[in-house]
Amino acid sequence: MTGARAATSTLVVGLGSRDRGDDAVGPEVAARVGELLGNNGGPRVLEHEDPAALLEAWAGADLAVVVDAVRTGGEPGAVVVLEAGQGTEPLTQEPWAGPARGGTHAFGLAAAIELARALDRLPRRLVVVGVEAACWETGTGLSEPVAAACPRAVAAVLEAVRAGGDR
Amino acid sequence: MTHKLTGDQVLQVDTLARVEGEGAMRVVVRDGEVTDVELRIYEPPRFFEAFLRGRAWTEPPDITARICGICPVAYQMSSCLAIETACGVTVPEEIRLMRRLLYCGEWLESHALHIFFLHAPDFLGYPSAIEMARDHREIVERGLRLKKAGNALMTLVGGRAVHPVNVRVGGFYRLPTRTELTALRPALQRGLDEAMQTVELVAGFDFPDMQQPYEYLSLRSAHGYPLESGSVVTTSGIAFPVAEFEQHVTEEHVSRSNALHAGLHGSPYVVGPLARYALCSDQLSPVAREAARTAGLGPECRNPFRSIVVRAVELVHAFDEALRIIDGWQGAPAPAVPVPASAGEGHGATEAPRGLLYHRYRIDDDGKILEAQIIPPTSQNQAGIEADLRSFVQPRLHLSHDELTRQCEQAIRNYDPCISCATHFLDLRVVRS
Repeated sequence: MTGARAATSTLVVGLGSRDRGDDAVGPEVAARVGELLGNNGGPRVLEHEDPAALLEAWAGADLAVVVDAVRTGGEPGAVVVLEAGQGTEPLTQEPWAGPARGGTHAFGLAAAIELARALDRLPRRLVVVGVEAACWETGTGLSEPVAAACPRAVAAVLEAVRAGGDR
Repeated sequence: MTHKLTGDQVLQVDTLARVEGEGAMRVVVRDGEVTDVELRIYEPPRFFEAFLRGRAWTEPPDITARICGICPVAYQMSSCLAIETACGVTVPEEIRLMRRLLYCGEWLESHALHIFFLHAPDFLGYPSAIEMARDHREIVERGLRLKKAGNALMTLVGGRAVHPVNVRVGGFYRLPTRTELTALRPALQRGLDEAMQTVELVAGFDFPDMQQPYEYLSLRSAHGYPLESGSVVTTSGIAFPVAEFEQHVTEEHVSRSNALHAGLHGSPYVVGPLARYALCSDQLSPVAREAARTAGLGPECRNPFRSIVVRAVELVHAFDEALRIIDGWQGAPAPAVPVPASAGEGHGATEAPRGLLYHRYRIDDDGKILEAQIIPPTSQNQAGIEADLRSFVQPRLHLSHDELTRQCEQAIRNYDPCISCATHFLDLRVVRS
């Protein structure tokens, strides 16, 4: 993959609210990725709270990497990486699956992904990096295990970016 | 006999990321008669009232915007009005107009999301917009375009599409230029056309028969169909200024719910699109009035299932109103006026997409907030939702639990409540004896 290609077709999105405990992990990881990759010729790096906006945000991208907090019942701080782009299986059995699993008023990350799939709006490659959360309390910062997981989540994002849009 | 239709999912959703509440419903049937319906919901504003105390008078627009990702502008506008009233400041006309334009953006975002992605699947027989998109791609694409137009308006005027950062007590940090506003025209004009098609689409849905007997309550404003200002009116002819809101509306705690139940002189009442339409349809723009007439809406609509039609009419109005404000925009001398702290109490109410949102603040001479009161639309509608469900469930007790749950969720979604997310996981228990 060339650097020029990454500049035009790669997107990194940190999904979540910075005000709701571990939900801030998406924006936090995206910010660190943005600092590491810089703005010159690197991927576009965004923070967003509205999963529905993803359908527009990743339009034209060969590769989109979305970082979000998840709750699967696993150990807080565990990092899960999932391929969800064109040609992958729907997210029916995943912890973030279903139209109401997260997202204000019933439109969560999985709903955005599956709606994009139904409308042929998925990027060629979409990588979801989920971080198992422990606390969602308004006004609190990242919990200790999730803060400790940020470097691993950043590494997972960078690895996906380096691999590019071809799986 | 107790039936539990959807497992224990409600227990799992209450603290999920960005979920705004949970919903559970309990129906008690004795000898074939529904004797009680309880809807249990959780709402976050209660915590916000507590931690607003001790904060500066300039902070409520930013703090309360965080209560909801769908209607942050409503929280910003009601809090600004209340604080400005407490400090004895009235913003200039240009700032009121720009607030109204921002509010149009929020209505577009919220109504498009609800109509196309949350409620239309109920009427067209799909579990969600995802399945609906496979058969009705153009409808879903249209919903995305309408929501995108609202996002663009929110981003330009509010600084970003979710939780706007450009609003301050006294006005804005920056006003958009005429050139920036005009650039939105094509998308808004197309949105207006597509909103009118949306009215036609949803007016053709099948609606269960149901008539609400309750009183409707909304703002009514000298500045047109109510959004950013007005005083309170009801369908029984009661009228009062916002400052007297708590003399007429009282909240009480009920043990089954974390949300307070509001009553108008002790009785259930309803806020939201049906109330606004019943009390202010004469103030809709001509094109929105014509859309309502074509859709077969009379001077008022009391079938809650047809609220989706009224929301679509309000979409038409919001697009038309946004275009009108942009076309007439002459600029403003300053983006904000000073609002120096002054000891006092102020009240503010505006029309959130799902109904009237009331704020009250008491501040001291230094601008420190001593007391905050927030009455959101969903808590005002909770008694009405329960009353709807009581009459709705009785003739449907023969249905399977899955089907009864689905229909109850649809009835709850008539209100576009802030528990929409959780009502997908409605935990319905029918207790028969």
